[in-house]
Amino acid sequence: MKKIDNGFLNQVEDKCGHLLGGCFHCMACASGCPAVELMDYYPNQIIRMIQFGMKEEVLKSKTIWVCVGCYACVAQCPNRIHIPHMMDALREIALEEGVEPGEPDIWAFHREFLKQVDKRGRVYELEFMMRYKLATGSYFNDVGAGLKMIKHGRLDLFPTKVKKLKEIRAMGDYFDGRNR
Amino acid sequence: MDEIDKIPDYPIVNKEHSRLYYYPGCSLMSSAKELGESLFAMAKLVGSWVEELKDWNCCGSSPAHSVSQDYALLLAGRNLLLAERQGIDELYVTCPSCYVRLRTAENTLRHTPVKNDILEEAIGRRYDGTVRLKFFLELLIDSRRDIFKNAVVNPLKGLKPVLYFGCLLTRPEWITGFDVLPYEAELRSFVDSLGVETKRWGYAKQCCGAHLAVTKPELADSQVDKIRDQAKRSGANCIISFCPLCQVNLELRGSKETRLPVFYISELIGLACKLKNAENWLEKHLVNPIPLLEENKLL
Repeated sequence: MKKIDNGFLNQVEDKCGHLLGGCFHCMACASGCPAVELMDYYPNQIIRMIQFGMKEEVLKSKTIWVCVGCYACVAQCPNRIHIPHMMDALREIALEEGVEPGEPDIWAFHREFLKQVDKRGRVYELEFMMRYKLATGSYFNDVGAGLKMIKHGRLDLFPTKVKKLKEIRAMGDYFDGRNR
Repeated sequence: MDEIDKIPDYPIVNKEHSRLYYYPGCSLMSSAKELGESLFAMAKLVGSWVEELKDWNCCGSSPAHSVSQDYALLLAGRNLLLAERQGIDELYVTCPSCYVRLRTAENTLRHTPVKNDILEEAIGRRYDGTVRLKFFLELLIDSRRDIFKNAVVNPLKGLKPVLYFGCLLTRPEWITGFDVLPYEAELRSFVDSLGVETKRWGYAKQCCGAHLAVTKPELADSQVDKIRDQAKRSGANCIISFCPLCQVNLELRGSKETRLPVFYISELIGLACKLKNAENWLEKHLVNPIPLLEENKLL
């Protein structure tokens, strides 16, 4: 039997700044979600699990990483429950508490992107894509797409960067996942 | 005949000589170069001088806000501070995702002093709340709209686009500041004034797959196929996009059979008004739009 954490609901509500008690499981969010087929729990199920204190299951789930934040769910929600902000908060809690991400590739995408931001203040897409491939071992997936982008002059061959990098680094200190 | 009659019928533009400050974001001059160039040409047509926000940094879009609210707020906040320091009171944003991030931060910093404290702690300055953020579509405000309409010399007859808004252009409306529904009709009538015939459909706000196109390409493929299939069923032969990421996904992903060229609205303005270099933008497309344009004798 897994541990129940009765404080989890409050923890998530505090973090995202929205109340999650209003959900009556109409499933409008789940029906409108473009990424639902990749999720292990529907968005409304995640809300129910938070209410039940099923912290471990929620933080380890694929769902919280798959959400892209398209806001379709909150636009349709009759109770205006801000699910994208809730998902942001859940990912943040998962990283803070050292939980292994349920979708390692998606975490690698975010992590490598933010390393670029930390390095230059901007994203250098070419290096970012290469580092993402190294991190996930997906060397040969999608090579065609990358070459097509280069061929049409849509990937810059050289990076540009921010002058005051000190400010960028100072901001990076506020990101818990920086050194993971 | 007087000299004046020989002057070709060219629009008389009320030159405002205003300066337009813009925040480019990471895609404008790389993966969305044609958007950048066409927007600059558009600004030129209304007599504006464009200037980039100096030393801008990443807006904190998807990856940052996905894993750290404070980090996302700081990244966006620094850009707002830069704008304030550079004396910019109106900042145009060219990407819907950047726009939502910057607006969210602007709102939070203005209303939540605790968050402004974090910004001060990290960068040493507070945000005073003097920057007004605008999305590039606001270039098409009423007074300027006629300038574009009058400048059309090559009506794009034969192009049948659908308007594809994607997610973040309109959602959530309490952040973007406008609801697309009343706006949609206006936008449609503006687009039609370029000579095209827009088609109606129900997929305008369906997500393109966003960054899952990299991590879960199969999902983006199926999303893009659904969107393009619906566009074709509505009788469209091209799509108009407003977002750099949507534009790339809609052209790059999905199966061969459903392919359609995806234009930015500014590119169509460029082609209809025969703006300088408009034809060079076409090479950047991942789905070649030239056959469609030649077929309709628009080049």
